[in-house]
Amino acid sequence: MRGAKNKKQKEQSHERKRVGLSYGELVWRRFTKSRLNLVCLIFVLFLFLLAVFAPFIANDKPFVIRIDGKLYFPLLRNLQPSDYCIFLAAVVVLWHAVGPPSCFRKKAGGLHRNTSGLGLSVAIVSVGAVLIFVFVPRRFDAVDYKEMVDSGKATGAIFAFIPYGYARTELASHRQPPSSRHWLGTDDVGADVLCRLIHGSRISLSIGFVAVGISVVIGILVGAILGYFGGWIDFIGMRFVEIMMAIPVFFLIITITAFFPRSFLNIMIIIGVTGWTSNARFIRAEFFKLRKQDFVQAAVSLGLPLRSILFRHILPNAVAPVLVNATFGISSAIFIEAALSFLGFGVAPPTPSWGQILSLGVSTSGRFLWWLTLFPGLAIFFTVMAYNVVGEGLRDATDPRLSKAA
Amino acid sequence: MTTYIIRRVLLMIPTLLGITVVVFAISRFAPGEPVSFTGGIGGQIDTGQTDVTSARMKLYGLDKPIHIQYAQWLWRVVRLDFGDSIRHHRKVSELIKERLPVTLMLNVIAFLIIYAVSLPVGILAAVKHGRLFDRASSAVFLMLWSLPVMWVGQMLIGYFAGPTFKNWFPPAGLSSNYAEQLSFLPWLTDRLWHLVLPVLCLTYTGFAYLTKQVRASVLNNLQADYVRTARAKGLSEPAVIFKHVFRNSIIPLITIVATLLPAMLGGSVIIERIFSIPGMGLLAFEAITSRDYNVIMAVATIAGILNLAGLLLADIAYAVVDPRICFESTVEAL
Amino acid sequence: MKQDEILLSVRKLHVSFSTEDGGIKAVQDVSFSIRKGRTFALVGESGCGKTTIALSIMRLLQAGQGKIISGEIIFDNQDLLKLSEKQMRRIRGNKITMIFQEPMTSLNPVHKVGNQIAEAIRLHQNKNAKQAWADAVEILRKLVVSPSNQAGVAEPEHTALPKGILCSAYPHQLSGGMQQRVMIAMAASCKPALLIADEPTTALDATIQVQILNLLDRLQKEIGMSILLVTHDLGVVSEYADVVAVMYASRIVEKAPKGQLFAEPFHPYTRGLLQSLPRLDVSAKRLEVIPGTVPEPLYFPAGCKFHPRCPIGHKDKRCRTVEPELREVQPGRYVACWYAPGYEKR
Repeated sequence: MRGAKNKKQKEQSHERKRVGLSYGELVWRRFTKSRLNLVCLIFVLFLFLLAVFAPFIANDKPFVIRIDGKLYFPLLRNLQPSDYCIFLAAVVVLWHAVGPPSCFRKKAGGLHRNTSGLGLSVAIVSVGAVLIFVFVPRRFDAVDYKEMVDSGKATGAIFAFIPYGYARTELASHRQPPSSRHWLGTDDVGADVLCRLIHGSRISLSIGFVAVGISVVIGILVGAILGYFGGWIDFIGMRFVEIMMAIPVFFLIITITAFFPRSFLNIMIIIGVTGWTSNARFIRAEFFKLRKQDFVQAAVSLGLPLRSILFRHILPNAVAPVLVNATFGISSAIFIEAALSFLGFGVAPPTPSWGQILSLGVSTSGRFLWWLTLFPGLAIFFTVMAYNVVGEGLRDATDPRLSKAA
Repeated sequence: MTTYIIRRVLLMIPTLLGITVVVFAISRFAPGEPVSFTGGIGGQIDTGQTDVTSARMKLYGLDKPIHIQYAQWLWRVVRLDFGDSIRHHRKVSELIKERLPVTLMLNVIAFLIIYAVSLPVGILAAVKHGRLFDRASSAVFLMLWSLPVMWVGQMLIGYFAGPTFKNWFPPAGLSSNYAEQLSFLPWLTDRLWHLVLPVLCLTYTGFAYLTKQVRASVLNNLQADYVRTARAKGLSEPAVIFKHVFRNSIIPLITIVATLLPAMLGGSVIIERIFSIPGMGLLAFEAITSRDYNVIMAVATIAGILNLAGLLLADIAYAVVDPRICFESTVEAL
Repeated sequence: MKQDEILLSVRKLHVSFSTEDGGIKAVQDVSFSIRKGRTFALVGESGCGKTTIALSIMRLLQAGQGKIISGEIIFDNQDLLKLSEKQMRRIRGNKITMIFQEPMTSLNPVHKVGNQIAEAIRLHQNKNAKQAWADAVEILRKLVVSPSNQAGVAEPEHTALPKGILCSAYPHQLSGGMQQRVMIAMAASCKPALLIADEPTTALDATIQVQILNLLDRLQKEIGMSILLVTHDLGVVSEYADVVAVMYASRIVEKAPKGQLFAEPFHPYTRGLLQSLPRLDVSAKRLEVIPGTVPEPLYFPAGCKFHPRCPIGHKDKRCRTVEPELREVQPGRYVACWYAPGYEKR
């Protein structure tokens, strides 16, 4: 009798556990079954942290320095507006990934897992970025703190883990292979390679995310409209999409970047604006499929406004392939940026970029400077691979067919 | 079938026109003027409005209003006259005639190799899905895909084509300097020897993508009901795969062919740069750095036409292979 | 083989498969026999295991669909489960054939239907392509045209078509009923001893259902084949079956000749099924239902699997703890219920 009762209790708790699994938790469980996926996800997080905290990890300004008995905090004072932007973006992303702190959870309700919530956070980041750039002054502090320490003017200082700045040039020690001073060597103007790699991760990751973000947004807009309305709109719209697809994208990118001033923002926008066609096609195909479904008819018959139908009802069902594609988009954006820098069209020095370091691999005199080729190459390789593995894992985890075949 | 082809070709015309407009607009509305290029590779010295400048502008027809320029250019393009290259001082069509076959040859060879490897590996991976071969091949190809092309190119040159390590392959160019004097077979061998490294760079990235697609398509079909019927008839597993699954699986791959082509044309820019191969990619790159508008527009247009042609071929092939897209059928009413 | 001899005998079949949540027993201790020339119906709700049994007989279970743990399937004096794959292939499509529920997806979309029928013929009958095609055309024509004295078999519009044109069509060009005829042609082309029909009419319109079932009936009489009819539709069973086995949650709970089963069902589940059929001759305010739902395969209840929904069983201690086995309570009638008449003689 008791045995039966225990079994029933176990069954009930099983029931509760099974019923309680949300879609996200299900995907997470499938995703984490492979250890490789987990490792790469951790690596991606590590890169993320590296990029966000780069100025604290590699900086030629010390955290705190004592000059004439007074304490100064040069590193904190010299944080640029771009640093603040990145902090803001990181906080918003964390909010989305982890969910709002429990005190807000009741108020936020279903806000944090909602496409409209996503739009809100994008808006916050964009507006915040603009405000930051307007109100926070750019600081330029050329004081050589290390020299102050060496010469004794300062009595104590705590430097960052890698005490070099990415813009600091020391022509005396240029083109040096790895040594105990510069763990990964120096480039052609004497900047520390490791430091430039770390700061370069910011460039790569930002370009990846922003470019992919732009291409996803444009792709969704175009695809939704074409897919939902069909008919003439679709016909003409597809001509435009075909034009974009027919012109070789890379060629287009080079052309545009060559003509416009070389800036970080331009490159992000250009990669985003040229890469949306595949997303548009996915969304269009899904919208074609979904617009005939009953829940759409129900929404229409309720008289809901168009943007609500498109973005609150159909889109969450259609967006899955695009999200998975986004991880590959990030890898691809990193590649494109590296290629552009390699060809000389990318971000201009002193902004660090992995591709730019790569392009210095063969010096003008023909020497093969292997450390300038190997390390950025490895950096790109591991980053891209990590994103690809995560993307693949995500695709397999969200694939409904796998539950049938298992 | 012929009506289908005619319809598709007609549909291509507006797209083609659109490409020309976009190409023209980009090259004209971008900052920087061709005639301000007075010298120096990649340099732009803005000489401002001088008499020399305005004379040159008149020479190249750059002083007319923009839509007239477009119409004139379009009219010449239709007759395959792309004008003269400002940088090379030759007819653009000549340049293209020289360079296009090179790029095509490079891409076609790479293309064939990619397909020859990906099809069997993809099918095998799908049949043995979840097992060691599948996971291993997937991991290997993923790693290959993650290697940045310029890095691989530089490493290959540094280690296999340079004075420091091995010197097995030539580091640059399409043929050796003495190639013209060779008879056909040695010339061919010499040419192939030069192509090994660049083709290697072009192909390794393609494996991952195509194998994934093949695998996904085959896997999809392996779970289909008609495969169950085929097995129920008593067919052996290899027969099921080759007679039934294969033909259904390659249908989605045909459209992929069409999308692979533009990607490869873009990728060869870097390879041609690294290996100094005189193809369309290198031509385009040099034209961009020197603001050689005629060449830029010509390359973009031709690339666009080639891509559209690829799309058209893919659509036609699709209709041939998949009987569900048949446009004439006598038993339709059934 | 004489009439009424046993053609195929399934003995104590166990099939299970493992999922990420645990092991699932899809088929437990199932035994039954099919006689020559007879129609054996396997009835049950979705998920009870009947399709798994059908696939097990053909040994078509794929990696994710289950593994045969134990049991025997005796056909033609051989245990099918012990045959090599090569030997099994000679039986599949030849002596034992199968048709499926969705004819549209069960046919290869890129091959002509004539070729698909001919493929079976070429495989087992050593004929060349031309002969096989001619055979296919003939078989399909026979299935389309009806002798004038049998109603409800033919699709009238097709009888006047030129020969061979149906075989040159692709599956998507045919209607559902026509596609199912193609499947039947494929299955009957080698004059099998046993045809397994897995829900052959579920996906078709009601009028076409009748046509297809009559067709199967006619074929059975012509070829002398047995039919294993897997279905959830009791109406179909009452018309065309000879012996009926009712399955619930991976077990057979009742097995009887059709007339006796419908006249007096012994198992509460069968009774519930028959009671819930809407009837035109009895007026009722509410339709009868069997309370509760089919249990999840991972969490089968202890004892008799039907007991939570059974009017007798949910109160009875023995039903809740001990599972009744399938016993022959009368010649030819088997039941698995403690309270079935004649169950507890000893």
